[in-house]
Amino acid sequence: MPLEGPARIVSELTSRGYNAEREAVTRIASADDPAATLQRVIEGLPSDALVVRLEHVESVLDDLSESDPPSSPADTPTSTGAQKTNTQSTAGGSPVETKGVSKGAGRSSDPDERSLEIVGDMTGESTGTGEYGDFVSVFRDRLERLGSKLRGRVNHRPATAIQSMPGGSDVAMVGLVNDVRSTASGHWLIELEDATGTFPWLVMKDREYADLVDELLCDEVLAMEGTLADDSGIAFVDSMYFPDVPRTHEPSTADRHVQAALISDVHVGSQEFMGDAWNRFADWLHTEQAQHVEYLLIAGDMVEGVGIYPNQDEELDVIDIYEQYELFNEHLKRVPGDIEIVMIPGNHDAVRLAEPQPGFDEELREIMTAHDARIVSNPSTVTLEGVSVLMYHGVSLDEVIAELPEEKASYDDPHKAMYQLLKKRHVAPQFGGHTRLAPEERDYLIMEEVPDIFHTGHVHKLGFGKYHNVLAINSGCWQAQTDFQKSVNIDPDAGYAPIVDLDTLDVTVQKFS
Amino acid sequence: MREADEQYFERLESQLDDAFDVAERAKERGGDPKPEVEIPVAKDMADRVENILGIDGVAERVRELEGQMSREEAALELAKDFAEGRVGDYETKAGKVEGAVRTAVALLTEGVVAAPIEGIDRVEILENDDGTEFVNVYYAGPIRSAGGTAQALSVLVADYTRALVGIEQYDARSEEVERYAEEIGLYDKETGLQYTPKDKETKFIAKHLPIMLDGEATGDEEVSGFRDLERVDTNNARGGMCLVLAEGIALKAPKIQRYTSALDEIDWPWLQDLIDGNYASDGEADADDADESDDETDGDTDSDASEADSGASDESTGPPRVEESTKFLRDLIAGRPVFSHPCANGGFRLRYGRARNHGFATAGVHPAAMHLVDDFLATGTQIKTERPGKAAGVVPVDSLEGPTVKLANGDVRRVDDPEEALEIRNGVEKILDLGEYLVNYGEFVENNHPLAPASYTYEWWIQDLEAAGADVQALRDDPRIDLEFPPAERALEWAHEYDAPLHPEYTYLWHDLTVEEFSTLAEAVSNGRITNAGETLVLEHTDTVRAALERIVIEHRQREDRLEIDDWKPFVHAAGCEIRQTATDGASERSADAADGPELDEPGLGLERTWADDDLSERARSWGHESAGDNAIEAVNEVAPFAVRERAPTRVGNRMGRPEKSERRDLSPPVHTLFPIGEAGGAQRNVADAAKHAETMSDTPGVVEVQIGRQRCESCGTETFKNRCPDCGDRTTPDYRCPDCDSQIEPDEAGRVECGHCEVEATCVDRREIDINEEYRDALESVGERENAFEILKGVKGLSSATKIPEPIEKGVLRAKHDVSSFKDGTVRYDMTDLPVTSVRASELDVDVGQLRALDYEEDIHGEPLTHEDQLVELKVQDIVLSNGAAEHMMQTAAFIDDLLEQYYGLEPFYELEDRQDLVGELVFGMAPHTSAATVGRVIGFTSAAVGYAHPYFHAAKRRNCDGDEDCVMLLMDGLLNFSESFLPDQRGGKMDAPLVMSSRIDPSEIDDEAHNMDIVSQYPREFYLATLEQADADEVDIQIGEDTLGTDGEYTGFEHTHDTTDIAMGPDLSAYKTLGSMMEKMDAQLELSRKLAAVDETDVAERVIEYHFLPDLIGNLRAFSRQETRCLDCGEKFRRMPLTESCRECGGRVNLTVHQGSVNKYMQTAIEVAEEYDCRTYTKQRLEVLERSLESVFENDKNKQSGIEDFM
Repeated sequence: MPLEGPARIVSELTSRGYNAEREAVTRIASADDPAATLQRVIEGLPSDALVVRLEHVESVLDDLSESDPPSSPADTPTSTGAQKTNTQSTAGGSPVETKGVSKGAGRSSDPDERSLEIVGDMTGESTGTGEYGDFVSVFRDRLERLGSKLRGRVNHRPATAIQSMPGGSDVAMVGLVNDVRSTASGHWLIELEDATGTFPWLVMKDREYADLVDELLCDEVLAMEGTLADDSGIAFVDSMYFPDVPRTHEPSTADRHVQAALISDVHVGSQEFMGDAWNRFADWLHTEQAQHVEYLLIAGDMVEGVGIYPNQDEELDVIDIYEQYELFNEHLKRVPGDIEIVMIPGNHDAVRLAEPQPGFDEELREIMTAHDARIVSNPSTVTLEGVSVLMYHGVSLDEVIAELPEEKASYDDPHKAMYQLLKKRHVAPQFGGHTRLAPEERDYLIMEEVPDIFHTGHVHKLGFGKYHNVLAINSGCWQAQTDFQKSVNIDPDAGYAPIVDLDTLDVTVQKFS
Repeated sequence: MREADEQYFERLESQLDDAFDVAERAKERGGDPKPEVEIPVAKDMADRVENILGIDGVAERVRELEGQMSREEAALELAKDFAEGRVGDYETKAGKVEGAVRTAVALLTEGVVAAPIEGIDRVEILENDDGTEFVNVYYAGPIRSAGGTAQALSVLVADYTRALVGIEQYDARSEEVERYAEEIGLYDKETGLQYTPKDKETKFIAKHLPIMLDGEATGDEEVSGFRDLERVDTNNARGGMCLVLAEGIALKAPKIQRYTSALDEIDWPWLQDLIDGNYASDGEADADDADESDDETDGDTDSDASEADSGASDESTGPPRVEESTKFLRDLIAGRPVFSHPCANGGFRLRYGRARNHGFATAGVHPAAMHLVDDFLATGTQIKTERPGKAAGVVPVDSLEGPTVKLANGDVRRVDDPEEALEIRNGVEKILDLGEYLVNYGEFVENNHPLAPASYTYEWWIQDLEAAGADVQALRDDPRIDLEFPPAERALEWAHEYDAPLHPEYTYLWHDLTVEEFSTLAEAVSNGRITNAGETLVLEHTDTVRAALERIVIEHRQREDRLEIDDWKPFVHAAGCEIRQTATDGASERSADAADGPELDEPGLGLERTWADDDLSERARSWGHESAGDNAIEAVNEVAPFAVRERAPTRVGNRMGRPEKSERRDLSPPVHTLFPIGEAGGAQRNVADAAKHAETMSDTPGVVEVQIGRQRCESCGTETFKNRCPDCGDRTTPDYRCPDCDSQIEPDEAGRVECGHCEVEATCVDRREIDINEEYRDALESVGERENAFEILKGVKGLSSATKIPEPIEKGVLRAKHDVSSFKDGTVRYDMTDLPVTSVRASELDVDVGQLRALDYEEDIHGEPLTHEDQLVELKVQDIVLSNGAAEHMMQTAAFIDDLLEQYYGLEPFYELEDRQDLVGELVFGMAPHTSAATVGRVIGFTSAAVGYAHPYFHAAKRRNCDGDEDCVMLLMDGLLNFSESFLPDQRGGKMDAPLVMSSRIDPSEIDDEAHNMDIVSQYPREFYLATLEQADADEVDIQIGEDTLGTDGEYTGFEHTHDTTDIAMGPDLSAYKTLGSMMEKMDAQLELSRKLAAVDETDVAERVIEYHFLPDLIGNLRAFSRQETRCLDCGEKFRRMPLTESCRECGGRVNLTVHQGSVNKYMQTAIEVAEEYDCRTYTKQRLEVLERSLESVFENDKNKQSGIEDFM
C-alpha cells in the first residue's frame, strides 16, 4: 500500500459520514500502517460518534479501552456552500482538513480551507453480473428516479391505465422514450414506456413541440400531457416535460478565491501526446499566476491505451500499457504536489468500456501514486469547497452529436451537446447505439442532483458555456491531431487548460501549445 | 472452326434439342406458370444479350456490328439505333436511353452477368433549374458485377443517347455536388471501394457529368450533411451510384476518353483535366493525389516495382530475389493454417509449368505435401498466396518434387509418394521443406507480375545440357539413360563432360547457407569417413553441421554421434572436397568387399578439402541478398569442379483460404415445393403439419391464410391460384385488379399494369384462405404417391415473387420422395469448387475407353488411337467431371425427373439411369452466382475429389476462375422443366443466379478473357528460365497462351501441358478443416502444424490468430453485449431495449438476452493460453489482460469477491 495521505484519510472518513479532528488524522497518517489503523479506528468508533477524535485513534493505537469522554465538537473550519440546497454533501456538511503533500511554489493558501467530497463513485460497487434482470433493474431505476422529478408536474397515469380511459380524456404519462418515428403524413409518433407497458403519443408536425422531437433520444425520461383519441389507442401531445435543470437553479460557489483546472484526454503513450505542452502546463502551475489553482480534475483518457483500434501498436510511442501509466504518473509528478487531483477513467483507459466505468484497479493505482490523486468511477461527482462538479468522460457526446441536428449539438460546440444531457439529466441516455452500458442494480449515469459544473472530454474539442446557470465544460486534449482525426477532418483543441474560478464560476482558458 | 469441333457442338445441340422437345411437350401438359420452357437458348453472345434484355432485334444488330468494330464501339452504334428507333420499341426518350444503356452494359459483359437488368433500375427525365430536361440514370448494387469499364461506358452511352434524342445536360446544384462527395466517403467507409476519389475529384466529376447518376439506397448509414435533397430520394448511400462514379468514371477515365474523343455529338473536355488531376486548385494537392492513387492501385504493383528494382541494383552483390509480401497473412483465421511465411526457407519452392489439371488461378502441390500438412490441403482447397496472384485453388501434381521431412528416428527423407507420406506422417518431427509448388507462366501474365527466379529443374537442365553441346535427342532415345532422375555417377559424368551445371537432382539448396556455414560444412566433410562399401558418408554430429544439412535439404540420417549421407559424391564435390585414395593396395571403391560390414571404415578412401576460406573471392564471400555473405552459392561455384545453379531461389508463402466444396445446395430450411403454407407448417415448414393445422378448435384443419397470386380462367371465368383451371382445365392468366376501384386491368405491352382511372399499380396478389389439406391430398393422389414415400415435405412460409404464383405441390412430393430440394427458382442444384483440367484419363474418371469413344474421343493427346484406360485424351471444351457427391445427387435428380415426367406430366421417363455410368454423356447446366446465364455442359466422368473439374474455358464462360470460386450444376431436364422466372424474388438481385438464358456452345472469344492468359505449351524455352533470373516482365517472353489461338481453327484444341499427374484426385479427399470438429480442434491442429513446419513462425501464427480472430470476436461480443437487444423466448418478439415490464409486452412470456456471458467470453481462456504457450508479444498479452478484466468487471459482482476497503484506497 502506498503511504496514505491525510487527504485520503479524511475523504475516506467523510464518505463514511464522519468528521475528524486534525490531530486524529495526523496521528493516523503517521501510524505504521495508516490503512489498517484507519480501519481499526472506524471499527472501534462508538456508534453515536460523529467526529473521529485523537483519543479514538490513540485508544486504538495504545490498545487501551478506557478513554476520556468526548469533548465538545472541535472548531474545525467549515467550507461554505453546504447550506445550499443542491450541493451533494453526504452526512451533512463535513468539515474537512487536509494537509498538502508538499507545497508547490507560490501556493500560499491554507490547505485546511480546502474541501473535496466524492459522490456516486461506484468503484468496487459493481454488483451486476450481466443477467437480464440487471438490465431491467437499471432501466427501472432510471424511470423511478428521473421520473420522480416529473411526477409532480403532471397528473400522470400508467400506460395500461391510459388504454382503458375513455376517449377524449386529458391524460399524462411519465416514461422512457421507447421509439420515435415519423408517420406517413409527417407527424411524429413517440412511444413512451413505463413499468406497465407502452403507449403511443402523437406529436402533430405543426405543433410547437414538434421541434423538440429532433432532440429526443431513445431511453430518456419524459413526461407527456395530451388528449386521448376517440378509440383511446393513441394520445395527442399538448405538452412535453423534461427532467431538466430548473431555470431558477443557482449554483453554489466557494467562499474564497480558489481555482480548479479542468482537463482530460492526456493520451500519454501516443506518438501524438504533446509532452512539451504538458510540461508548460505543469510549469505554469508552479508560477504565481497559478497560485490559486488548487484542484486538478482529469476527465479520463490518461493514456492512449492498447488495442483501442486496429494496428494501434504502430502509432504508439509506448507500447506497454503499464509503462504508459508509469509515464503518465511521471508527468503527473511535474504538477505541484499541493494540488488536489481527481481522475476518472475514459474509453482509452485500461478499465471496462461499458459505463459506468469503475475507477482504476489496484495494479494501476499502485502505478499512479503521484500526489495521492483521487481515482473514482466515470461518472462521479466531486464537490470542491461546496461547488459540485459532475465528471463524465463523454463517450455519449458522439451519439448526441450524431443524432441531433447540427445547430443543437456539434463537435465545434461540444458544450451544446452537454446542455442536452443536462436537460435529460442523464449522461448517456440512449441504449443500444454507440454508448455501452454495464448493467448495475441502479443507474449510476443519472444526474440526480443538478451539478454546478458539468465536466466532460472525449471529443478533443474545447467548449464551455452555461445552461440554466450550470457551467458545462468540455476540456480539450493533450494529443495532437491523429491520422484518424485527419481523415475525418477533426481538428482537436490540444494543449488548453480551462481554469474555473470556484468562487464565481468564471472560466479562463490557458493555452500551452 | 475445325470440322471435329463443329460436330461436337452439333452433337451437343442436337442432344439439347431432343431434351427441349420432351420438355416442351411436358410443359404444354402441366400446370407450370408458363406452358413452354422458360430458358431460351443462346448460340452466341448476341443471342444472350438479346435474351437477357428481352429486346428484340438486338442480337441481329450485334452480329452485324461485331465483325466491323470493337464491342465498345458497337455499344455506341447501338445507342444510335435506339435513339433513332431502329432497335427497340420505345416511345419515350427515357425509354430509349434506358434501352441503350442496358444494351451497352449487357454487350460489355457478354450477356452473362446480371448487371444490365439488376444493376440499372431505370432511367428518368427530370428538370433542370432553368426548366430544361436532363437524364437521370438510376443504378443499383448489382451494377458491381459489370466491372469498372462497363460502368463508366454506361454513363457515356447514356450521354450519347441523350445528345441524340435531344435532351439537355444535367446541371448539378451545388448541394448535389457536395452530396456526391459526402456520400462516396460514407460508402467507402461502410462498404469499401477499390478506388476512392478524393472529395475534390468527386466534386469535379459531379459538377461536369452531363448525366445525373442516382440510385437505390444500399447501406444503413445516412449522410449527415446534404440531406433531404429535392432530387435525391434517400439520405442513405446509393451503392450503385458510388460504384459507377468512383470505380467507373474516376478510375477508368482514360478508357472513356478514348471513346469520347471519337464522338462528335458529345464532348467531355473535363476528362483530360480529371486524368491529369487538374481539378484541384493548388499544386500540392496534386502531388497528394498522385500518391494516393498509387496507394490505391492494389499494393501488388508497388511490390512489383520494388522487386524489379532490387533485382537490378543487387545484381553485382547478390542473387536475384523477389520481395517479401505479407499481404496474404492478413486476416488470418483460427483453424486455417499458414503453410509458409513470406519467402521463408523450407517453404514451397516455385517451379514453373502447367500440369494438365492446372492453370487459371491454381497452384500445383505434391500430394505427399497435402498429407504431410496434416491433410489441411486437399484438391480444390483455396490458398491465399504471396504471388503471383492473391489466391489459388490447390491441385495435386505428383510429377513435382515432394516435401522433405525429419522423422523422430533422425532420418531426413524426401517423400515423393503420398502413400509413404501417410505411413510416416505420425513420425514426422519437422517438415524441413514443403517441396515444389507449380505455377504456370500464364499466371504471371494474368497478374502482370514480373517473373520470379525459377527453381532449377530437369526441364531447364536438359535445355542447359543441350545448349552446352550435348546430343540430348540421342540421350533421350537411349533407354538406359534417365535424363530426369539419373544416378549420381551419371550426373557427375555429365557435369564434367559438358559445360552444363550439375543436374538439379543433386543440386542442394546451397543458397540457404551462409558462406561461413558452408565453410564449416566443408570442413566437416573433409573430416568425414566413408563407410558401407563406399555407399555412405559419415560426418561428425554437431548442431551446426546438422542444421546445415537440414537447410540444404539433403536426405541423410541423424544418429546420436554421427550424420550419415548416402549418394554423397555430388554433395562432396560441390562442397569443394576431393576423394583421395589413402590406402596403398590401390583397390578401387567398387571392389571393396561388402562383407566388411556397414560399420567398418573404408580404408581406401579419404576426403580432402581443396580450398581455404581465403581462397574465396571477395564477391563470393560477400554474396548475399539480405546481408553480405548470407548466400553460399557463389562460394560453391568457386570451389566446385562444375557449375551449380541456385536450386530454389523463390519460395512462395501461403496459407489456407476457404476449404473446397462439393455439396448440394439447400435453402435453409430446405424447400421441396415453392408452395406457401404460412406459419402453419411450424419451423420445419412441414406441409403435412400445415394440412392438419388449425388455429382454434372451430377452424377447419389445413385452411391457412396466405398471400398468393390470383389467376383467372378466360374460358369459364373461374378464379383460382393455379395455372390451369380446376374446372375446365384451360390455362389461366394473372388477374390484375386495381386496389382502389377493383377494376380488372390487362398488362400493357411493356408488362406494366396501372389502373387508368386511379393511376395506381394494379396487383394480382391476394390474401386468401387456402385449404392446404385438400391441395396436399390432391397432389399426392395426382402423382399416385402415398405419404410414406417420403420423410417430410417442406414448403415455404410465403412467396417472394412479384406475382406470387405457387409451384404445383406435386413437384414437391416427388422431390421429397427422391430427397432433393429446390432452389428459389425451382431448380435442384449442386455446388462444387471449380478446377480446370485440359486432358484426362479414362482410368481416373471411373469410365472405360468405350464410354469415351462413344463421346467422340478417338485419339489420345499424341494422336494415337484411344485403346486403353491410361491414355491421356484432350478434354472437349464443354465436358465436365463431376465429384462423386455430385454424381450421386444427379442420379437422385434424374430419378426425380423421370418420376415427374411419368407421374405428373404423363410422359415417358427421360433418363432411366441404372448406375452412375449412365450419367456419362448427359447434359447439365453450369451456373455461377451473380450471373444470369447458364452454360450447357456434358458429363464425361467422375472424381473422388470434392470439386468440379472442367475445361478452363467452361469455367470462364460462367465468369469464374479457379482460385477457390464455386458454382453449381443442374441437370438439364430439371432446368428445362422446373425453372420459372415467375418464382424469382421480386427484389434487388433476385434475378441473379438464375438461368435466364443458356449458352449452348462456348465461343472462346466471348468468355472471361482471364482464361486466355493460360499457356498451352508442352515445354517452356530455356530463354524463359533465364529471363526469370532477370525478373523480366512476363510479356517479354514468348510462350503461347490461349489468346494466341483465338479465332483460329485451333481455338478449341491443342491445350498442352508441361507436367503430368497420375490422377487428378490425389491427396486427401477432404481438407482437415472440414473433417475436424470444433473451431478449437481446428485451431489446435493449425498451431500444431505451425510448429512442425520449418517455414512457419508459430508465434506469428498465434499472434495473428489472436489479433484477427479471437480479439475481434471478444471485443465484438463484449460490445454487442452492452448494447444488445432482447428477445422473447416464447413468441420470438424482439425488443431494442429490455422492457420495463420485465416480461414480454406481447405475450407475457419470458424475455431474455440475445448475447450472454457465455458467448462473450468463450474464447477468453483459450486466447490467453495460446498467447502464453506461443510466447506472444507483451502488447497482445496486455490487450487480453485488459479485456479479461473488463469481462470480470462486467460479469462479476464486486461484493462477492473477497475484498476489503484497502483495495480501493
